Amino acid sequence: MRDTAVMLLAGGGGTRLSILAHLRAKPAVPFGGMYRIIDFTLSNVMNSGIGSVGVLTQYKPLSLMGHLGTGEPWDMVGRTRGVKILPPRTGEQDADWYKGTADAIRQNIDHMRRGDPDQVLILSGDHIYSMDYGPMLRFHRERGAHLTIAMREVPWEETRHFGVARTDASGRIVEWQEKPEKASSNLASMGIYAFDAVYLLDALRTMKGNDFGHDLIPSAVGNDRVYAYPFEGYWKDVGTLQAYWEANRDLLDSASGVDLHKWRVRTNLEEIGRLGDRPPARIAPAGKAVESLLSPGCVIEGEVVRSVLSPGVFVARGARVVDSVLMHDTRVGKDANVTRAIADKKVTIGEGASIGGGDDGAPANREFPEHLFTGLTVIGKHAVVPDRAIVGTNAIVFPHADEGLFPSRSIEAGSTIRNRGE
Amino acid sequence: MCRVLAMILAGGRVDELSVLTLERPKSALPFGGMYRVIDFALSNLMHSEIERVGILSQYRSSSLIHHVGIGASWDLVGRDRGATLLSPQKGHADTDWYRGTADAVYQNLEFMDQHQPDLVLILSGDHVYHMNYRGLIRYHQEKKADMTAAFIEVPRDQAHRFGIGTIDEEDGATGGRLLEYAEKTEAPSGNWASMTVYLFRPDLLARLVAENARRGSSWEFGRDIIPAMLGRHRVYGFRHRGYWAYGRTIEEYWRAHMDLVGENPRVDLDEWQVRTNLDDRHLRDRPPSLFLPGARVSDSRVSAGCVVGGEVVRSILSPGCRIAEGASVRDSILFPEVKVGPGARLDRVIVDEKAVIEGNVRIGAGDDLTPNRSFPDLLSSGITLVGKKAHVPQGIRIGRNCVVGPRFSPEHFHRPSYASGELIT
Repeated sequence: MRDTAVMLLAGGGGTRLSILAHLRAKPAVPFGGMYRIIDFTLSNVMNSGIGSVGVLTQYKPLSLMGHLGTGEPWDMVGRTRGVKILPPRTGEQDADWYKGTADAIRQNIDHMRRGDPDQVLILSGDHIYSMDYGPMLRFHRERGAHLTIAMREVPWEETRHFGVARTDASGRIVEWQEKPEKASSNLASMGIYAFDAVYLLDALRTMKGNDFGHDLIPSAVGNDRVYAYPFEGYWKDVGTLQAYWEANRDLLDSASGVDLHKWRVRTNLEEIGRLGDRPPARIAPAGKAVESLLSPGCVIEGEVVRSVLSPGVFVARGARVVDSVLMHDTRVGKDANVTRAIADKKVTIGEGASIGGGDDGAPANREFPEHLFTGLTVIGKHAVVPDRAIVGTNAIVFPHADEGLFPSRSIEAGSTIRNRGE
Repeated sequence: MCRVLAMILAGGRVDELSVLTLERPKSALPFGGMYRVIDFALSNLMHSEIERVGILSQYRSSSLIHHVGIGASWDLVGRDRGATLLSPQKGHADTDWYRGTADAVYQNLEFMDQHQPDLVLILSGDHVYHMNYRGLIRYHQEKKADMTAAFIEVPRDQAHRFGIGTIDEEDGATGGRLLEYAEKTEAPSGNWASMTVYLFRPDLLARLVAENARRGSSWEFGRDIIPAMLGRHRVYGFRHRGYWAYGRTIEEYWRAHMDLVGENPRVDLDEWQVRTNLDDRHLRDRPPSLFLPGARVSDSRVSAGCVVGGEVVRSILSPGCRIAEGASVRDSILFPEVKVGPGARLDRVIVDEKAVIEGNVRIGAGDDLTPNRSFPDLLSSGITLVGKKAHVPQGIRIGRNCVVGPRFSPEHFHRPSYASGELIT
């Protein structure tokens, strides 16, 4: 598929993912034990037989760049293959930060045109799904489309979060609504666009505004040949803490439609922390793990229930981890209780500490009520929760929080604690 | 830094390991779930920053060739780094198969010559241990030795199975002059066993193996070379302490696996940082292991890509194994991609790659410990072997000390039950 240029939008900050996306771009947030969110899209590219991709970065790209490396984990090293990281750069104008999805592509037209492609496939690095892009590109060509948008049906109550479209019998889009209050269709955009290259170049030159969903698509529908490519199967935008937590939980349930075995998701095993060095997970004589995903290097002396554990997580004797997501090298001390929590990398949870609890009546987080209100508790990277401390539901413990933040050992539900200056 | 060339002896077929080494040399035998035995030597080399490695292999080496590749997994790719597989080659002589370990080195003197090392480190690829060879190298240099061999303490009642050295007290706990050395004798002089880790001056090594090629009798280092050096050269013994598994018999191989579990596992994989080739056997594509609601796993190691729905106790699961709900796997070792069906029960079984155990099968059933009829010396402790890609159909019952042959398929099982000690091939 050398006639297709692939541009992967991976620049976004993820405000709604709170402190998980504090130090890294959203696509670089760890997911599913050993992966990062972007791995799903990159693996789709690989499994579609595409060997070259441009990754547009902007917000805190360090983790992402380290992760992409040479692109070798996704078989993208070779004469015509490669991963190119495309950061914003200064050009003729002063402010060259990407002003929107279309603007990001516009600023990288030179890269896009390099291979003289017939089509341009634009992807997002924020979603969990498995898709072969080949049939979509065929669909696009067969219909002589200017633009084809991958779309799927969503529950009606979710339509206000998406661009939605009505189509005619041939799949051509006849009406487009961007994040409507009252939707006329529940066919929602997945943020995956196949463009005819000549059409896209022209559109980027003449369009008003900087965003595909808000600006380009509404004006293209009706004037140009815009089609909806129907997708069925699991797809999830993990842009909120609740959605992120639910998608992790979906990995534990074969009925959810997520199948890591079939999907052939790949990750970089050689970046810092080298997942490749981790031995098989060890369950100690008194350990127990049910309905859970355990990555290599985990050592379980206590009990793990309905949880997703990244490489190197240690759960000490007598500790209980329930309904939680624990990232790399987090340590849960003896007799600690962790319930409905998300703990970032290298968190230390002291002996006998209690995190979360998930009581439904708990107040939303006072500082970030729109980010954290569903009963989760979030602990940032490198934070230390001291022995016997209690952290309530909907609380946020910021990255690098230390024991000094726990004067009374108790952090009440809905609180946010951070070191000075964070 | 002084340039050390490592030569790994990885050719050996070991009859005592029965069907497990039918299709692979011992060094390529799976170990500890995701590894192969040779990974331990290769990882030791990597951690010791020894970066030029020749691997001497001749027996069924395709799995080894595949596994080692260009050595990238052990950081062996670069200007002054490299892994080279040294197979026998046709030369002037009629028979150019390696006649023994010393002969294998002799036939690759050219390789040694190419690299002009300051020291040559000869290792076995068959052992499970963790050792930084830099300590040995320092000692060798301090003593201005011609050859230094590493030794480890073994139980006295086992000493007759090893090459045993007598080391004097020159440097106490570190080592000393090697006074005596004898390979596998009835009455060993002590219990410091050779680890098959030899550090040589290259010129001397070249001379010794060349002489041995002409006049040798066993062409082995342990039998021909080392004993003959004593008294004539500066030969030192270096005392190593730590875990070392020899794994020459089924029983030992199984026991070494049991050292991976327990309250404080003696083989501390979390500490040892063993590396393997993640492209071999698609390890790289394996997701984290999934524990289903019915999983009851304790005292075990579970590799990536496993899906566990049943009971697993004191067992090692290699990547991609599937244990159905209601199945029970105890005291067993499962190689990659083994499937165990619902209600099946395995007790003390070593199951080779891609074998399928259907529902309600029992393997390792009963208390009858009748040794294997064909190989009583190899299989008498109650362990049953299931060969690569064997397929045991629904409901079959198999006792202890049995062997199910590789690729043995359902239509060949003519009886519902096989007693302990049977060879099912």
